[in-house]
Amino acid sequence: MLLGACLQNKMRKYFLVITNTWNEILTYRLSFILWRLRTVLQLLTIYFLWSSLIPHQKTLFGYSQSLMLTYVIGTSFISSIVLSTRTHEIGENINSGNLSAFLARPIGYFGYWFARDMGDKLGNITFSLIELAFLFFLINPPLFFQTDVIYLLFFITTIFLGIILHFCIGSLLGMIGFWSPEVWAPRFIFFILIGFFAGSLFPLDIFPKPIFNLLQFMPFSYLLFFPLKIYLGQLSVPQIMQGISISLVWIIFLSGCLYFVWRKGLKMYTAYGN
Amino acid sequence: MEIKRYFRLWLLFTRLTTMVAFQSRFGAIVFLFGKLLRFLFFLLFIVVLVSKTQTLVGYSIWQIVFFFATFNLIDTIPQLLWREVYRFRSYVVSGFFDYIITKPISPLFRSLFGGSDILDIVMLIISFIFIFFSAAKLEILTLMGIISFCALVLNAMVISLALHIFVLSIGILTTEIDNAIMLYRDLTQMGRLPIDVYAQPLRGFLTFIIPVGIMITFPAKAIMGLLSWQMLIFSFAAGLTFFILSLFCWNFALKHYASVSS
Repeated sequence: MLLGACLQNKMRKYFLVITNTWNEILTYRLSFILWRLRTVLQLLTIYFLWSSLIPHQKTLFGYSQSLMLTYVIGTSFISSIVLSTRTHEIGENINSGNLSAFLARPIGYFGYWFARDMGDKLGNITFSLIELAFLFFLINPPLFFQTDVIYLLFFITTIFLGIILHFCIGSLLGMIGFWSPEVWAPRFIFFILIGFFAGSLFPLDIFPKPIFNLLQFMPFSYLLFFPLKIYLGQLSVPQIMQGISISLVWIIFLSGCLYFVWRKGLKMYTAYGN
Repeated sequence: MEIKRYFRLWLLFTRLTTMVAFQSRFGAIVFLFGKLLRFLFFLLFIVVLVSKTQTLVGYSIWQIVFFFATFNLIDTIPQLLWREVYRFRSYVVSGFFDYIITKPISPLFRSLFGGSDILDIVMLIISFIFIFFSAAKLEILTLMGIISFCALVLNAMVISLALHIFVLSIGILTTEIDNAIMLYRDLTQMGRLPIDVYAQPLRGFLTFIIPVGIMITFPAKAIMGLLSWQMLIFSFAAGLTFFILSLFCWNFALKHYASVSS
């Protein structure tokens, strides 16, 4: 009973972090609306590009118009779940010395940032659903709906793996703050890599085979492309299991790196004046 | 005389900003590398796409590359010259803008040209190389087309300047906007490919409301001989209108500046 109360108390802290992040989003409303407007514009750009490239009842790179448009809209929605994050604040948090205050608090540092991520995702998912409903009403896209429960379960599982994978990469980039004040430049490269190799602009299998095979061993394709391919039912169960295994290997490897870098960083961390 | 003085000031601001940028050489090189990577990746995407479809909305691969190179040119010059706009919000929020408006120089000039980023020259050179290379591959190239192209690129700079002034004005009126300039960037990114790609009413919106088409697609179309003289005149009229409206907007915002921080 005591353990239960203790656990409940612990979870309450993280729940408060989630609600605080949600409230932060609503504080800077205009900024958030513009951010969402940007997301809608990006979606429309890609949507109209592909809808003009693949006429009705034609296929391109093995995709029919409905499959491709489902892919495009799907990546937009999944990116609001997987790619929305607050880990970009970690580097600044370390640089500014605010980390000292966290070290003295009875809350896990990574638990805190993961809860921040959850709050951010909650905001993005909510608004993304409203936008997609609006777009659906406005342009009525020819979408593909997956009805196989097995594929849907795999799809949800890979989204969760994508969230953890993205959190690990984002946090690792934040750790650069221990050694350098230049925390934005590497993240800029990361954004560019994700923009192309996660599959948000186009499905990765339109690339020539050797490039696509190489991309399958990198973590980026497991953030958006892999879950969407499962949703579209274009992967066999062995292929799905192989993809999940590669994601898990990346998660384990990056978590290990994160733990190691965090310990190393803390040993050399100094702060004053706070 | 005034122009000479402002040119000297711009040189001074740019020299100081460059010195700050090179304090962290690692960051500067990584940012530059990132921009280069983004350019090459999109070029790869175009090549993969058009190699499969042969044409894109009726344009050949070299025409599409020309559109993309023109986009890069028109996207890079404002980033190079008016980079200070990206830092403007912090000046308003921190109260530093009070200091700017008390100086004996135009606050608009200071807010636009106060931190030009010469690192973008590398991207500018790459854009020029691709423009010359892909233009050489175009079948119809006339002197009139080249002159129209140059005039429309200048017109695009006027429109871009107007849009940057709008962003500055919004920054003064509503201090909470972070994403306004990035929204402009996203809109212009829709011009990486010819706007013919987009269906109506989006295409009309991108031509007549947010003039991405006039800025990016029209210059490239002019060199290919695909732009009517009516559209050419309309483009210059739109450029002038946007510029005048932006100056009105700036004066309005300046009158309502509340010096929030001090």
